[in-house]
Amino acid sequence: MKSGTLELNGVSRRFGQTVALDNLNLRIGAGEMVALLGPSGCGKTTALRIVAGLERSDSGSVKLQDRDVTNVPAHLRNMGMVFQSYSLFPNLSAVENVEFGLKMRKVERTSRRKSALELLELVGLNTQSKRFPHQLSGGQQQRVALARALAIQPEVLLLDEPLSALDAQVRTNLREEIRRLQLSLGTTTLFVTHDQEEAMAISDRVGVMSNGRLEQIDIPDVLYNNPASTFVANFVGTMNHIPAIASGDTVNIFGKQVRIKNSHSGSGEVSALVRPESITVMRSQGAGQAKIVTRSFLGASSQIVCQLPDGAIIQSLMPSYSTGELHPGEEVNLSISLDEVLVTHV
Amino acid sequence: MAAMKKRIDLALFTALGLAGIFILLPFGSSAEFSFREYSTDGKLLHSFAPYRWIIEQPEFLSHLLLSFKLAFIAVLFTAILVVPSVAWLHLKAQSFRPIVEIVTLLPLVIPVVALSIGVQAAFPDWLQSTEYELPLMYVVLSLPFTFRILDNGLQAIPLKTISEASRGLGANWPKTIFYVIAPVMRTAVAGAFFLTFALSLGEFTLTSLLHWDTFPTWVTSVSQQNIIGAIALSVFSLAVAFLILLLVGLFSSRSKKRTEVAE
Amino acid sequence: MTNSYVSSKGVSRKGGTFARRNLIIAAPLLPLLAYLTFFFFWPMFAVVVDSLKNNDHQWSLINFTTIAQKPYSTAFKNSILLGALSALFASIPGALFAYIIEVRGSEKLKGFINSLSGVLANTGGVPLAFMFIATFGAQGSAIKILKSLGIDLYSGGFTLFSFTGIVFVYLYFQIPLMVIIFSPALHSIRNEWRDAAKNLGATPRKFWTTIGVPLLFPSFAASFLLLFASGFAAYATARAMTVGNIALVPLVIGTLVDGNVQVNQANVGKSLAVGMVLISALAMIPYLIIQRRARRWQQ
Repeated sequence: MKSGTLELNGVSRRFGQTVALDNLNLRIGAGEMVALLGPSGCGKTTALRIVAGLERSDSGSVKLQDRDVTNVPAHLRNMGMVFQSYSLFPNLSAVENVEFGLKMRKVERTSRRKSALELLELVGLNTQSKRFPHQLSGGQQQRVALARALAIQPEVLLLDEPLSALDAQVRTNLREEIRRLQLSLGTTTLFVTHDQEEAMAISDRVGVMSNGRLEQIDIPDVLYNNPASTFVANFVGTMNHIPAIASGDTVNIFGKQVRIKNSHSGSGEVSALVRPESITVMRSQGAGQAKIVTRSFLGASSQIVCQLPDGAIIQSLMPSYSTGELHPGEEVNLSISLDEVLVTHV
Repeated sequence: MAAMKKRIDLALFTALGLAGIFILLPFGSSAEFSFREYSTDGKLLHSFAPYRWIIEQPEFLSHLLLSFKLAFIAVLFTAILVVPSVAWLHLKAQSFRPIVEIVTLLPLVIPVVALSIGVQAAFPDWLQSTEYELPLMYVVLSLPFTFRILDNGLQAIPLKTISEASRGLGANWPKTIFYVIAPVMRTAVAGAFFLTFALSLGEFTLTSLLHWDTFPTWVTSVSQQNIIGAIALSVFSLAVAFLILLLVGLFSSRSKKRTEVAE
Repeated sequence: MTNSYVSSKGVSRKGGTFARRNLIIAAPLLPLLAYLTFFFFWPMFAVVVDSLKNNDHQWSLINFTTIAQKPYSTAFKNSILLGALSALFASIPGALFAYIIEVRGSEKLKGFINSLSGVLANTGGVPLAFMFIATFGAQGSAIKILKSLGIDLYSGGFTLFSFTGIVFVYLYFQIPLMVIIFSPALHSIRNEWRDAAKNLGATPRKFWTTIGVPLLFPSFAASFLLLFASGFAAYATARAMTVGNIALVPLVIGTLVDGNVQVNQANVGKSLAVGMVLISALAMIPYLIIQRRARRWQQ
């Protein structure tokens, strides 16, 4: 595939008084799949639409393999886009939808039909080629949309929350398929979503956005274990905020002195950021550090929610086989398995 | 970007401008016409004379009140007949909805002129000798629209579910109707009533062909003797219709906002 | 039919038949049905029956052969032409206007236009005719303004009380009617389709020719049919505006009703009415069918 790099440089956009994007800089390598993750209104969709040419930026540029496409109209950009829902043309059948881009490029009839059918087979829908969108399920429609976007052999694939409107099971299956296709075709891909599990599961890198800014962009592991800000820490996965007292470089958590990873201002009250899987819960003889509120069996793991005497809630995630003896109402002791943590000030 | 914006506005501007002329020219002209008064030596003056003349006519009030009475009766019949039927349709008889919908659309297919002939041919003499045959027919004429309004309004509401919830919480049917069903139908019912009322007030064809004399038909007869007066009457009734429908539009958009906020 | 059935709740009930259950559900709808039967179906039935009877109350097709000839056939021709022309000259401007408002207008503007169109579409009959007499009649304001600019339309033979005049006046409620009934179709053209088409390489023109127009065509055709039926069957405006010089079917029926019946033609009015119903149905039934289908994918 001829996929190249995609660059956004200093892209800004405001709608009236609201700042949608604030000096966004992003570089996606050839064949890489990057997700933009964030809550509604963070600017991720605006950024995607600016790349597609469906929106104009107030300032900044979009470059495709060093070609400045900022002023190129949308229909000439050679990018494939998949929308959240309802984007298939209702008056065209599945195969006619898929070959639409080729028809616009004046590809001859038999060869564009052939390409379209091949792509439908790639997404597993060659038997439904003659069906119309209203006759297809949500998951099937999105697969057709994907085939349609890929039919034009785009240099960049843009995905605007493609799975948000689908059922949970369909979502998990389809995201794997998207990744599989993307890897085999080697297409540079920008993927926008508010679902952090989805973003982390299939992307090479994930960029977390908030209020028009890119808070952090890195591989999923780093985002999870080394969040650059409280926002990222809370948005990606679940995070406990444990009230503790910091003294100098360390903080005392459940009786263990733990080193503080990030820079902070002196000593005093802080919140230590700890993931549930780093906290272990054990039954205590007599009074303990906390009391169990609930225990939820999640299959391989179980979630134990405990409450400290001061009212703070702590979530722990442990392998189910080690939680059999823990019941709501019991007194327990907590311990943390990390040697260093991030803290934020209260 | 700025250039594109200007181009867009031009198209909209032209369209609205033309529409403005389209609307205002006849209305403005009628308004101007309605204030005309010709002096004894043939000069053209403007005054309130035509409007004074209208109000001074004894038939003005009698015909207006008659039309109001008939419109009111039509609304009453709509309330008794159509509203409960549509409610029942959504509550217990959903399977019958498609066929009822088709039946209610039939009056649209038949021209009013033809229906008038039908009434003349079919109705017994005792019925044709009373002006109350008119509101009975107005209900039929407005049925496609009232059904549509009520049906659309109820489609947005899970009527069956909330009624069952109400019953499950211990309310009997009268209480459920009063506290649950009626409030939820308020906007749609108001819309249906307004429509029936407006249609009845302005109905000319059926009334005229059945040789009754309501406000609209009276206005036409006035035009024989006093065209300016007739036009003044038309301006008057149009202005009122305009106001009512704008108010309805405002009312329905405000209540739409309320339900959106509630969600 | 067995005596037991499985109800919707999955419980088998003996003693209630399918038909009986349906009757209980349908019962409260019977008043409405009875009302319609008496006040709608029966009058129409009576018209059809009477139209097939001659002066001696015997079955005959004389009424229909009569209306197939002049002067009645002229009236039909005129009315059909009136419906078609007013529909033609209203549907295109109406569709264009609705398009511009839908695409470029704000929500507030759309709501205002919608209410306004509602008022104008129902502004028919007598007030409308008088309004146009006030504007374009011999003493009308617009005529006076044009005269002051040196343009005298009336010297050129223009008159409002002509066939063209009526078509012109009908546009006043036909165009708003078009805006009302066509706007939902325009509204249902999703932005996603336009964006996707753009993304796949389509210029706006290509979008409209491959996607937009094919999608809108049924609704446009349906709207045209409604406008035709509306122009064909309108009575009040024509009555207020003609001075007996133009033969239109509704007007002819009107004069017959007023007692101007010729000998041997007692029931001609009924057959004219039947003719009107047939032509109107020919337009309205396809209209309703297309609208129902369109509503399904528009939602």
